[in-house]
Amino acid sequence: MHDDNSGGRTDSIRPRHRIGDRGDHFLKRVEGETGANISACYQCERCTNACPVSAFMDVKPHQVIRYIQIGWRERLLSCSTVWVCLSCEMCTTYCPNDVGVAETIQHLRKMAANSAIQPRELQLATFHRTFIEELQRFGRVNEFWLMGALNLKPGILKDKIRTGALKEEIELGLTLWRRGKLKLLPHRCKAVGEIRTVVQNRNGKVR
Amino acid sequence: MRLAFYPGCSLEGMASDYAESIEAVFRRLQIDLVEIEDWSCCGATAAHSLSEAMAVALPARNIAAAEKLGLDIVVPCANCFNRMRFSQVMIEKGIYDVPWPVTGKIKIHDMTRLLAEDDMLEKIRARTVRPLSGLKLVSYYGCQMVRPPRITGYTDYENPQTLDRLAEAAGAEVLDWSYKTTCCGASIGIGRRDIQEALTRKLIVKARQAGAEAIVVSCPLCQSNLDLIQAKESGPATPIFYFTELLRLALNSGGRPQHWLRKHVADPLPLLREKGVIP
Repeated sequence: MHDDNSGGRTDSIRPRHRIGDRGDHFLKRVEGETGANISACYQCERCTNACPVSAFMDVKPHQVIRYIQIGWRERLLSCSTVWVCLSCEMCTTYCPNDVGVAETIQHLRKMAANSAIQPRELQLATFHRTFIEELQRFGRVNEFWLMGALNLKPGILKDKIRTGALKEEIELGLTLWRRGKLKLLPHRCKAVGEIRTVVQNRNGKVR
Repeated sequence: MRLAFYPGCSLEGMASDYAESIEAVFRRLQIDLVEIEDWSCCGATAAHSLSEAMAVALPARNIAAAEKLGLDIVVPCANCFNRMRFSQVMIEKGIYDVPWPVTGKIKIHDMTRLLAEDDMLEKIRARTVRPLSGLKLVSYYGCQMVRPPRITGYTDYENPQTLDRLAEAAGAEVLDWSYKTTCCGASIGIGRRDIQEALTRKLIVKARQAGAEAIVVSCPLCQSNLDLIQAKESGPATPIFYFTELLRLALNSGGRPQHWLRKHVADPLPLLREKGVIP
């Protein structure tokens, strides 16, 4: 007999969520912070159908919106969707209710990046952080230095060697070098100090 | 005509060929491009992945610099254009305070739309000395230039026409296909090569199925994605042209094409020779 209604599956140890068991705090928070019209979603799945990468997502775009409505914060911040999203804006463009799906996923990505939850796509999460670090350093971003800095981050190089991505990357680098498409020396902006201030006050002043 | 020019980081590196061809085409069309002094990065995807305040403030510095010059900005890179427009819209709404004064009195143009205006097209047609007749192309716009429409101002975001019109003005034959604005995968290849390859490969395959011999693009990242995926392919390549490269060919403005087209991975020279565009 299954008291837990799990249908005999072995993964039933995970605590089950019930709709509405968490109130609407998370919904109110995300709506307030993004200005997105999340309550208006009626699950027509047009966003998921328009999305070019929905096949690679564990939580599909329409589910993201639903999960916000019912307050499943941890599930959302630990999913791969927030990192896999390309911000191609297909979902936002085709939403009949003007929900702002892409902006919402972007916002969840921000929340995930600032939370203690381990990102599902470590390389992509590290890439964004490294990009901003490089931007702070020079004011502009040099592709060669960006990839170099990314490879020096903990765990990245090891992962690339294991998957063979490093070899491909070196081959690619050589191809670009032969075509004269690599700029080895970065350009430093004169106003790099001002840019640093902006990045440091990133959670800065909201009027 | 004078315009402020914001090249963006890519045009210093991977898209240096784009930068060169822009310079040549605008010189030929007698439009002055004034590079924004000491411009800085727009923040790209990383900035709005981490903080919206930062995504608004970083492009604002460049917009403010152009406002000081009193010139409209023209942006060649699709993502830079999108980020700058986003910043301008958010500042207009008054949601964020930025350290640089932005009044919103200047316009931000993406380069394709600026050149696809009727008078510009006239100018291009009048100066075309080497029409690219017989070259069959499809145009590829990508995401950031057209979506979301409330930021980019495109009304025909499902079937944009600017690149089509420009390529036709250069004398090429532009074919219709359904993947004009389908995402190429952008920078996701850095962490997930599988997704990148799936998306980019599909575009190449669909373009070939539509009968295209080459693809014309305006976004540096789309160009490098579509170009580099062909590095390991054998057989005839599908060259990925920047639209300014086609214009430069047609207008015959400066340099030997054999020289400045060398930066492509999918070699365009055999195709152009076959069509008799270059000897």
